[in-house]
Amino acid sequence: MATKKKRMPNMQNDSWVVIAADSAIDTQKHDSEPAFVRLRNPVTDAASLYMLSDGDVQLFEVKAFEEDFHSWFVGQTVQRDGRLLFVTPMDPLYLMLPYLVKVGKEGKFQPLDQVVMDEDFPACPRLLSCTRALSSLHHIAEEKEVGGVKFHRYSQEKTMNWLKKKVERTVTVLKARNISVGEGVKSTTYIRVKSESDYHPEDFLRYAHGILSEYLSEDLSKALLKHLQLPELTSPKEPEPPSKKRKLSELPVEAEEDYTKFNSADFARKPPKKMTAAQKSLAKVDKTGMKSMSSFFSPKVKAEKK
Amino acid sequence: MSCNSSVTRVNVSSVGQAQRVPVHLLPCEIEHNGPAQVSQYLTATTKDCKQEKMVSFRGRGLKGQELSCPQGYTGFVLKETNKAGSDQEDRTVKVSSVFDKLTYWNLETPPNSDDTVVMAMDWPELAEAIHGPVED
Repeated sequence: MATKKKRMPNMQNDSWVVIAADSAIDTQKHDSEPAFVRLRNPVTDAASLYMLSDGDVQLFEVKAFEEDFHSWFVGQTVQRDGRLLFVTPMDPLYLMLPYLVKVGKEGKFQPLDQVVMDEDFPACPRLLSCTRALSSLHHIAEEKEVGGVKFHRYSQEKTMNWLKKKVERTVTVLKARNISVGEGVKSTTYIRVKSESDYHPEDFLRYAHGILSEYLSEDLSKALLKHLQLPELTSPKEPEPPSKKRKLSELPVEAEEDYTKFNSADFARKPPKKMTAAQKSLAKVDKTGMKSMSSFFSPKVKAEKK
Repeated sequence: MSCNSSVTRVNVSSVGQAQRVPVHLLPCEIEHNGPAQVSQYLTATTKDCKQEKMVSFRGRGLKGQELSCPQGYTGFVLKETNKAGSDQEDRTVKVSSVFDKLTYWNLETPPNSDDTVVMAMDWPELAEAIHGPVED
């Protein structure tokens, strides 16, 4: 039986290629010290990596863009880890929402510092030091001031109106960038199209809703769908994510020397479906606590919670 | 306390010593981290024709293209300086290199606007729509 060449796990990775907003890593301000922190991801309820700039003025999202079988040359060195990380400004309200929603069920006005806290995530209260957190809180909560102390209560109505504006902004960019949103391509491929007139306006709304749902709990995502007056799709039971291992490719050859694997039993079990490069990139499962870059290419009915 | 308490600080002052280097994204996984003679074996034999670059790498034809970082964004290579002993300790990374454009290579296929890394450069603009402040 043919032996398969084993790929060694990349244990000693100590280097990352990052494209970051200048507001996150400000090369002019040498005394600033931005930091990667772990916070609760509103969708997965588990840890994800974010960045807080110095003094917690701003929150950033960290997304890994990753394709199978890629590595970097950086100057005169090889870096095996072929991921590209993006650090982009993030609205802190998305991360605060779950806490407000949870406490809001009691229907009481509460001081924020008693709401936005999480014993599993010590960095959580730092969200409140983000400039935008307090100044935009009125989009998701009602406020009451008693004796100089502010109290807040989650408002679903306000939140839905706020999210609808987010959807509208997103639709504008999708149209401007000619990103294909039609039925059939929406979940797995990500391609540009010539004209937007081929699409029903609902396609854009639904796509934008899918993108925003990457930041919302399942309940909020469903409520938003209703608020946008989009009917729930009955079909998508998510297709099985394709195997994380080698996939069939439309390319004539792949850059690995070992052709014997095409005869191996392992190969025979692979799904026979051909995939485009975009699909391949989407199929990759992120294992690091960072969200996959490709997740924004795949707006669809929420992934089922495990 | 869980490992969620550890933070990874970026030592921005190290930018002063960081070098501007050419950065290439290759369509293959190289099971190695460390020095390589990139300019001798890749850069020196790269041919430019129109927007496209071509090179033969280990007998395979690669076709590539240069991409600029989106406006308002800079490329960094972050490197961990002193590896933490456990996942509960805070960590520090320094900026070891800086770049404002990268070259990505496809295997055989000519570069085009549907390549995922090209699409990825649209992410900051889409992120701004999702995360930018909304009006009252």
